[in-house]
Formats: sequence, C-alpha cells, structure tokens
Amino acid sequence: MTERLAIPNLGNYTVALAAMVTAMGAKPWWSTYTNDHAMALGVAAAPESLCLPFKAHLGHFIEADDAGVENAMMVNSIGTCRLRYYRGMIEEILKDMGRSIRMFGLGFDGFKPPLIRYFDPPLIPFLRTIHMAFEKIKTIDTIELATAHTRAREIKTGETTLLMERCLRELAELDTRKAVRRFHQQVSGRFSAIAIDEDRDPLRIGLIGEVSLLRDRQLNQNIEQILGHKGAQIKNFFLLGAEIGNIFGFSLGNKKNTRKRLAKVARPYLNCTVGAHALESVAHTMICARSGFDAMVHVCPTGCMPEISIRPILNRISEDMDIPVLPLSFDEHTSALGVVTRVEAFLDILWSRRQKGLGPAGQRRN
Amino acid sequence: MPNHMGETGGLTGPNAFGILINSSDTPESLIQRARQCVRKGSEQLKIGIPRAFYFHSYPGLWGALFRLLGHQPVVSPRSSRTILDLASARTETENCLPQKLFDGHLLFLLDRVDALFVPRVLSIVKGHLCCPRFGALPDATRAGIARDANLLTIEINATKEPLAKTLIPLARQLGAGRRAAKQAVAQALAAMAIRQLKEALRQQAPHSSRKFLLLGHPYTLNDRFIADPVVCKLEQLGVPVERMTFEDHEIEPGLIMWCIFNKMYRKLEHLDMHTYAGVIQLSTFNCGADSMMTERFRRMCRHRGVPYMLLMVDEHCGKAGLDTRIEAFVDSLSWQRSEMAR
Repeated sequence: MTERLAIPNLGNYTVALAAMVTAMGAKPWWSTYTNDHAMALGVAAAPESLCLPFKAHLGHFIEADDAGVENAMMVNSIGTCRLRYYRGMIEEILKDMGRSIRMFGLGFDGFKPPLIRYFDPPLIPFLRTIHMAFEKIKTIDTIELATAHTRAREIKTGETTLLMERCLRELAELDTRKAVRRFHQQVSGRFSAIAIDEDRDPLRIGLIGEVSLLRDRQLNQNIEQILGHKGAQIKNFFLLGAEIGNIFGFSLGNKKNTRKRLAKVARPYLNCTVGAHALESVAHTMICARSGFDAMVHVCPTGCMPEISIRPILNRISEDMDIPVLPLSFDEHTSALGVVTRVEAFLDILWSRRQKGLGPAGQRRN
Repeated sequence: MPNHMGETGGLTGPNAFGILINSSDTPESLIQRARQCVRKGSEQLKIGIPRAFYFHSYPGLWGALFRLLGHQPVVSPRSSRTILDLASARTETENCLPQKLFDGHLLFLLDRVDALFVPRVLSIVKGHLCCPRFGALPDATRAGIARDANLLTIEINATKEPLAKTLIPLARQLGAGRRAAKQAVAQALAAMAIRQLKEALRQQAPHSSRKFLLLGHPYTLNDRFIADPVVCKLEQLGVPVERMTFEDHEIEPGLIMWCIFNKMYRKLEHLDMHTYAGVIQLSTFNCGADSMMTERFRRMCRHRGVPYMLLMVDEHCGKAGLDTRIEAFVDSLSWQRSEMAR
C-alpha cells in the first residue's frame, strides 16, 4: 500500500499541491481549509502566543496522525518571519506528544529535498505530473478570478460558491495535462452561465495581508464570501501562479506583480522588503488606490511580525491617497459574527462614499 | 547596570577618552581635530536618540558618535509609565511592548530636537537577522508617530558590511570630513566595545552562591519599565542576578537566525547547574520572536537540569503578580537546594 502524506493547507491551491504529491507516489491527505476539529487540536497543543497559521498547521498534522497518516510535509521559509522555525517547532511538539508522524520540509533544503529522496519517484512521470500541477495552478487562478467576479453580481446568492467547489472537485480528479487544459478553457464559460445582474456595479475591494489568512477560509472566517455576498468584488492578491513566478523568476500567469516592480512602487513609503508579504501589501494598496479601487482589507493573524509593523504605513497611504483600509486581525477567538459586523459597517461607509462621489473611485465614476 | 552609566550615552568623564588611534595622538587632540573639521560647514544639531531598541543594542555608541561629530545628542529619559502613556493612545494597538515604549520615547523627543535618529537595523551580527519589525521601523515611524519630524536614518546590515563602514557615510552626512569621520567612528566604536566588555565582566563575575540568569533582549533587560521590577525584586530577596550580555559577536551560526536568540542559545547550551540556580526569561507581550523561542529554551534548560521560568510583562504594570511568581520561584529553588544538601 502506498504511504500517505499530509500537506499543509493553502486554500484552493491545495488541489494542485495534492497533484504534486501524487506524482511522488504518495497518497495525499489534504483539505482546502482547516476544519474546526483540527483547529481545536492545534490551539490546545501550541504555545499560546504563536500565530494562528501555526496552530492551524499543527492541528492539521495532529488530525492527520490520528487518521494514521505516516508522513507530513511542511513549508520551509528562508524569510525573516518566524515561519522559518515552524517546521522544527511542529516536529518537536509532535514528538513530545508521542506521535509517530514523520515531518518533511519542502523546498530550500538543497538540490534534492529529503522528501523526494524518501519517496524516490521515477523522474519522467514525476516531471510530467509537476508540469500538470502547474497547469492546475493556472486553472485555479482563473477559477479564483471568475469566482470573485461572478459572486458579487450573482442573482441567486450562493450559486457561484457551489460552482467553484464543484469545479475544484472536478479539477482534483483530472490527471493529465491535456485534460486540465481542456478544463481550463471551459472554466470561464461555466461561470458565465450563472445568471448575473448586469446593472450592478459592485464595490471593488483588494484583499491583502498574510498568505494563510488570505487563503484558508476557516482562518479568515470566510471573508471572501462575506464580502462577495454583500456585493463587493474582491481581488485577492495572493494568486499562487503569480507568486511562484516571483520566487523562481519565471512567468506563470501574471507578470506584472514581480517583487522588483512592487518594490519600486512602494519606495516612497517603504524602503525595505521587511519579510513575508509586507512589501506587497504596501505596494498593492498604492496600486489599487491609483487604479480606482473602493477600499482595501488587510488581514493578518494577531501579532504577525511583518504585517503589524507596516500598519502605520497603510494608515498613512490610506490618508494620503484617499483609499479606506480596514485592518482585521484574527486569532482563535475571532468570531465570524464580529467580522460580519465590522465588514458590514465598512461596506456601508463605502457605499455612502460612492454615493457622494468621494475618493478616487467616486471621482472616476463622476 | 548599564542604564546607570552615562545619562546621555557615554563619554562623559575624562577617563572615557582613553582610546588612542595613533600612539602620538592624545584623545583630546583627536576630538579637537574632529570638531574643527566638523564645524567648518555645518552647525550643531540636536539629535534625538530614543532610549529603546538600538540604543540598548549599541550601548553608548550613538551618543558618543554624535558628540564626537560636534552635534548634541539628546537621549530620552528612562522608560516609565509616563513614556508609555504618551504612546499608548497613538501607537498601533497590536505592537509589542518595546515598540510601544519606543514610540513613547519618540513622542517625548519630538518637540525637543532638530532630528530623530531612527536607523534600519537589519542585522547586528554577521550572518544573522533581526526582528522583521526593524526593517520597517524608519518607514513606519515616518508614516505614523513622527510625521513631520526630520529623520536621520541609516541601514545597518552587518551581513553586508561591518558597522564601522556603515557609519562613515552617516558621519559624512553630518558634516564631517573624511578623516574626521573615520576617526570619530573608530573612537565611538571602541568606547562602545569597552563599555560592553566592562558590563559583561561585571555581570559574569563569579559569585559565592549560585546565580539567577536573566534572559531577554538587550532592549528589555536594560529597560527600566520592563526589567527593573524583576531585578529589584530579586535583589530584595537577596539572590545574585546575572543579566544576559550580548558583547560577543563571534558566535557560531546555527539554526536560529536571530542573533540575540542564537547568543542565548549558545549560552544555554553550556549552562552549568552548579553556577546557575535558575533561568528567568523576561518576555514582553506580543513579541513574536519570544513566542517562538521560549518553548525551545524551556526544553534546553530542562535538559541542562536548570529550572526555568517565563515572565511575561505587558502594559499593565501590576506588580503583585510578578512579585508572587518570583518569590515562589526563588523559594521553591531554595527548598530544592536545602533538600539536596540533606
């Protein structure tokens, strides 16, 4: 029997990661969001003041171990943020708990990561599947964009979300590059089949901040859906295709958002990469203000080191460039209801701003 | 205690000048020369140095450097409730306690100086990193707390180039000639090194009974608001305390990339249970790095057989809880010792 491998959650992109794991000859154990049970396990086992994504990952792996999964994979980072130490920390905690699950790092471990050494997949099929997985990432980028567009305009609330989930399920089943390609071409057609209100002019809101929070709908209390159903078209700035292009320097989808270009944009306000996605948050806020977005929502876990340190800068940009920024911090005590209330109040303000023709977005319309 | 030495950051007494650059130079003549060079083009600036973060990481350096360059350093007073209250209404709510204190110090200095000195400290020790917060510090300061102030800033990245080289452009920017800049930087650095060594010798001096090791960042251990209640209580109980010192830059790089924590790690690695009775880690609320490392240090101390306690300090300075915990810790360790003796 093939061994199983638990992989960290990266929202909808976990579908593509799962495909990569299959290529290594392991059976992936995954989900597109951290469930309540895993969250509770993680919160109980983690040191109290660590950030929410750590607790989510830890809980996810504990749950995997309970299910008898033999191996787990965790991202490695070379950044300045404490994510760098998460794999080691999770490993230590799991060992202390007497759990037998084996942890592997992903990436930045040298030429041949231990994970690949362990599973030792045959080269040609492996590369072919990786190639296919990249195609899946691009497809998910498209699904994400289409979902954001349609959800804000749909007539029957919830239809888009259902379609998105169906699409992801179908995408997960596909196993050749050709099939993924064909599927990719159908995506926009399937989304445009949903009945939408053509006259509605939704608010355009940029979603920036920390990756796990942007991508895991359990961690961010499903903020994308909350905003979407209240008639705001969100743009989530973590698109994995563009991100991978950034890290490895080749183009996969969006070419505009390379870190070099963003650093240039952010220079008047921030002269340093800081770490994680702090620089991106600043640069995207500025770009969005210029291109007529109605507002930005900045999400990060409570006490996130890089993202919290740039909050004063975001406030200043908000003032200088006249774009409202809603900062939201999440920890395990954040209730969905509280988020809904805050978002509703924020949207009310945005609608009235638009009615009065205030801000760059309002001026553009008049 | 380092924060008792030199209110304005060093080089106050005549003896502090005892570093010679050339054998023929007396320090006084050196400074005189430096000052002459400086005075040529520029006038004296009042440069504000907040008594937080990098003030403690580089003890005495900034005050000495600016004075040697012919400017007037103004160091904010030691942290207190007043300083914190200045900041708490205006700072970002989720900031860690040292950052809030830093903002308070900045606000105190804001109207009293011509320029505020806020460097971007990316790395203090070669091959290591600092808290990511420092990367955005000058930018966030400019955007938030100190809006219309003049900021004097440099990028300190010891991984890229040594500090001595980084400081020369700063000195030139402040109006010094090339030679004067070089001399002033060398002297200020030497003064800092001597100061750090003295402090380290004082802290690490052997003691007849077993000591308590106080772990933390330089900017928490030397901060009056954060560390003094703990130190005073320990002294009151009559136990010898050693504050962690960070003078040694020749540490072996390891898994931990934060230099301060790597230094603590190396210290704990060789911790001797016959010299140290216990370890007290002083942590501040919402410090990201602490949250990561305290767990590891706890494990290490367990392996070395030294009791470990984590003390978290936050804005609310209710001392009763702190006192009780320290007393309980010290008491239980003394019982353990008497049991061992029996």
